[in-house]
Amino acid sequence: MSVEVRNITKRFGKFTALDNLNLKIESGELVALLGPSGSGKTTLLRIIAGLEFPDPGAGQVLFYGEEVTNLPASERKAGFAFQHYALFRHLNVFENIAFGLRVLPRSKRPKEPEIRERVEKLLKLIQLDAHGKRFPTQLSGGQRQRVALARALAVGPKVLLLDEPFGALDAKVRKELRRWLRQLHEEIHVTTLFVTHDREEALEVAGRVAVLRDGRIEQVGTPEEIYDRPASAFVYDFLGNVNLFHGQPHGGSVKIGDTEYAVTEKGGPLETPAVAFVRPHDIRISREPGGHATLAARVIRCNTAGPSAHLELRRLDNDGWFEVQLSKEQFNELQLNTGDQVYVELRNVRVFPEDYSI
Amino acid sequence: MAQQPSPRAGLIDMGDTTTFFRDTRHEPHRRATAEAPWVRRLLITGALSFLGIFLGMPLVSVFAEGLKKGLGFNFHTFLDPQTLSAIKLTFIVAGISVPLNCVFGVAAAWAITKFDFRGKNLLITLIDLPFSVSPVIAGLIYVLLFGAPGPFGTWLSDHNLKIIFAVPGIVLATTFVTFPFVARELIPLMQAQGRTEEEAARVLGASGWQTFWRVTLPNIKWGLLYGVILCNARAMGEFGAVSVVSSHIRGETITIPLQIEILYNDYNTAGAFALASLLAFLGLVTLVLKTWIERKKAAALRAAEMDLIT
Repeated sequence: MSVEVRNITKRFGKFTALDNLNLKIESGELVALLGPSGSGKTTLLRIIAGLEFPDPGAGQVLFYGEEVTNLPASERKAGFAFQHYALFRHLNVFENIAFGLRVLPRSKRPKEPEIRERVEKLLKLIQLDAHGKRFPTQLSGGQRQRVALARALAVGPKVLLLDEPFGALDAKVRKELRRWLRQLHEEIHVTTLFVTHDREEALEVAGRVAVLRDGRIEQVGTPEEIYDRPASAFVYDFLGNVNLFHGQPHGGSVKIGDTEYAVTEKGGPLETPAVAFVRPHDIRISREPGGHATLAARVIRCNTAGPSAHLELRRLDNDGWFEVQLSKEQFNELQLNTGDQVYVELRNVRVFPEDYSI
Repeated sequence: MAQQPSPRAGLIDMGDTTTFFRDTRHEPHRRATAEAPWVRRLLITGALSFLGIFLGMPLVSVFAEGLKKGLGFNFHTFLDPQTLSAIKLTFIVAGISVPLNCVFGVAAAWAITKFDFRGKNLLITLIDLPFSVSPVIAGLIYVLLFGAPGPFGTWLSDHNLKIIFAVPGIVLATTFVTFPFVARELIPLMQAQGRTEEEAARVLGASGWQTFWRVTLPNIKWGLLYGVILCNARAMGEFGAVSVVSSHIRGETITIPLQIEILYNDYNTAGAFALASLLAFLGLVTLVLKTWIERKKAAALRAAEMDLIT
């Protein structure tokens, strides 16, 4: 166990940022803290780094089994990369990376040639070996973030903490940096925890994802587990586009329109009115009723830009609106046009109690 | 290994920022906010004559009067033992109160911008107090505190310590009057720079002192210098507060501004103007330094803001 937080609670005035939260991170893992803004993910990261402290007596932070709850940030040996990089603007790239080594107590501080060697090595790792003499303002956003990462790595941190590492970058640079971060992690295998509100980023980069909501952990699991078997309506919704069908469940099925749909997996007890969740790509369309395709709907919009076709449909029985995603081939086969009446079949229906509203 | 982010990304970044600071002064179109030519001319003439009468003329006349009898006379005036001692005392007072306010100002600005605590707004208001209170009252406060009838008066006279009507009083009054300059200068700059660089330094293992010397101070050096220069200008020129706490003993508790008054009251107009031109000259030097540093400081502030934009 490399990082563990136990029963952490943190309040800012009346606002509860973290509510009795627990999380364990294995050595060498790459974990994403995913959640909407205000869910407490950055606060959790800052508490692990020692930049914030949990409410007195409310929780513990452990690094490799050793309690660090009350240690100041400077004694925790965590690497931290800030969303806006926080590079030292008066120091060049080389000195930024060397900073952590230069402030070590004299007895532990490496000799100048050794500092030079370590910084050069890191500059190569972040592919900025020619830019050591530049100042932060002379770098692009992506380059700055890599310098920030190298600076954090220079001190040989026990754990690397990244706060929205790609949040301030444009889409293309973001994608490149994501891939770079994953490769970097495969190379150096330092336990890494990164905060993001971008589900795609979390699912693509992380080995394990922790979904946060209102200061609590909603679900922890591999990206596949989280996506395929969300533990709650919130996780289901947060991870992707979703259609809601209100209905009355009984037994192992739920009635939507006139049809009973088998429930793939239930998220709670099925006595109360419930909401069935279906992803847009889990809906089949046919021109004629038959088999399971019994729910009548009308096509109100077709968008075929991009790799697949996106349709908007309206139910004929109660005006409910939903989205469908089809492959281009299926779409062409069906020869659909706006205004057409079709019949849809719902697959992978998941039911959650109706207390959650999107 | 991944590829370098394409250089285009950097170019786009730069493009955005240059657009943000686009200079529109030389654009040929008449701006919507511009007035008719005769209105503009009238307003400009009015503003310039006001400036000339109230700022330009006095300055010119100080130097004209001060240099009327030639530089030789000026040096003769400065070398008069009483005037020389006034000049010396002025530098001593500035030499003590400016470093004090430099330290206090940095400490106050650091506390206000890098930490949250109860009574922060009260502290900010207190720092402004010397600006809102008349210097005469500032002087009077010290007379009441340390003078014979004051709470410390008896104790001080028992121990044969003299604060009021002596040099320590002048230093105290000057320090009080010039207190806000450094802090006022630093607070907005440090607020714009935020706390993240300090946080980064802490996470990297730097102690509080190391963070201050290696991160905070280099980032605020131009703002600090600017504040120090303003503070120094005021410390050398302060009249009201110093006049109240000084016993006006010639050659002992007289600073340059007080000496100018004495010379003037002694009908030594030429001497008064000679000394006044020295003080005005020091002020002008300050102004030049100030302008130069202002540019450096603006660059630092812009860099801080650019960091937030990009």
